[in-house]
Amino acid sequence: MTTWHLLLDDSVGAADGLALDEALAARHRRDRREMPVTLRLYTYRDHAALCGRFQHLEAEIDIDACRRTGTEFNRRPTGGGAIIMGAHQLGVAVCAPAPVAERPRSILRRFSEGVVAGLARLGIDASFGGKNDLQVEGRKIAGLGLSLDGGGGLLFHSSVLADLDIGFMLDVLRIPAAKLGSAAVGAVERRVTTVTRETGRDWDGKALREVIAEGFAEAMGVELEPSEPDAETRALAAALVETRYGSDEWRFQRSPQADATGTAVLKTPGGLVRLYVAMSGDVVKSALFTGDFNQLPPPLAELEARLRWSAVDPDTLTRLADQAMPEGSGLGVGNGEIVTLIADAARRARALAVAAPNRSGSCYFPEPTREGSPP
Amino acid sequence: MATVTVEGFPVRTEFSYDLTHHMWVEELGGERVRVGMDALGLETSGTLAHLMMVEVGTEVARGEPFGSLEAEKYVGPLVAPLSGTVLAVNADAVASPSLVQSDPYGAGWMVELSASDLEGERSGLVSGDEIVTRFAQKVTEYRLEGVLAE
Repeated sequence: MTTWHLLLDDSVGAADGLALDEALAARHRRDRREMPVTLRLYTYRDHAALCGRFQHLEAEIDIDACRRTGTEFNRRPTGGGAIIMGAHQLGVAVCAPAPVAERPRSILRRFSEGVVAGLARLGIDASFGGKNDLQVEGRKIAGLGLSLDGGGGLLFHSSVLADLDIGFMLDVLRIPAAKLGSAAVGAVERRVTTVTRETGRDWDGKALREVIAEGFAEAMGVELEPSEPDAETRALAAALVETRYGSDEWRFQRSPQADATGTAVLKTPGGLVRLYVAMSGDVVKSALFTGDFNQLPPPLAELEARLRWSAVDPDTLTRLADQAMPEGSGLGVGNGEIVTLIADAARRARALAVAAPNRSGSCYFPEPTREGSPP
Repeated sequence: MATVTVEGFPVRTEFSYDLTHHMWVEELGGERVRVGMDALGLETSGTLAHLMMVEVGTEVARGEPFGSLEAEKYVGPLVAPLSGTVLAVNADAVASPSLVQSDPYGAGWMVELSASDLEGERSGLVSGDEIVTRFAQKVTEYRLEGVLAE
């Protein structure tokens, strides 16, 4: 049976944690493959706010709130949106040789099976869904990300929500739910779940490690051997802290694509519906429907998920709306009107991106803009 | 100029391809080549959100990155199909990666290179009569893996 190394860490700093992941992946580049695949299960020191590889950090993370709360902030090498990590979120990293012919979607799905199998041991039925998330009945329980470096090293990331302090997250990440007042926590709870919530027991990241490790062993068909980073890996990680993760040049790096958000409103027989979209260039990074309803109608929740990482041309929007709402939105308007709502919000975002390129939203929500305040 | 559809994906038959990394090469005359990503590579990466490219004047080696992309939480390299020096970067594609997806073989080109060993490295690319067959094989492979919908 193939053996993987298993590394366990607790309370790591943001720069150190990210640097060790990248160093471990670098050990699998084509010119230096002399160690087994590594599964690293770790927690960050309370707290770390981490934006995705190409996000604009200041647009996603409230730096003042971080300084006020002692929260570190940094940039991941993997894609996706901003996240909060700490004692109650389990960081998962798989560092391996990049398969030459396997496509990214397949790699993400394959390694996510380790997390799925681990959660299944707790009776949680998570599945690959949305745009590369793990979900339980439509609610996100773990984020996934993947980075392939040019040298042939692979880094798979997952952040598993053992539990989540939603109020803290709303303080530190710049997300519109924070501006929904008393409805903010509920808006997050409708879209996110945790191991604690699903099992009815309190969990933290450290406590989750055993079942996630077992899940990987089962799903990947490997034996896990406890290990420590060797001297070469530690030296590489230290160099990466120095040159990358400890530098403002990396943390505040700007990508060429303009980010912005827009909003639009639609009056329906079912009440007022407002949509926020966060765009990165021409692509929707996240979407949030709010309105005069107690529960987000399931067709709109489905559409939110499908809109993430989609283009906004009319054909794509129509196809996504029809897939998400085959029997209509439930609001007494046709799918065409919902498509127009999305196109309007996207158009406004792109207009703002030209005027003032800034933010694109967290992994959960986009940010409302000056065009209007949430209902 | 000939574009054919192979298993639902457009393919330009006068281009050469690195089908491992899904990059195409158009020879523009002399050592100058234009490089982009093929439609199958784009479909199996997901919607592009970000592109970054090296600067003009950078020397790149075949198989090494000339830039990187982000698509649906995946960050990965854009792999050079030939060695050479970057002569031009498509600023329009960098500013709006959706251009790559809407017109991968035309306005969505990525870089132009002065190839340093075109004669020697050309044989490593798929071209001519092989293109359609090899492209179709890739589509079948990806469908079997579940990367592409049936």
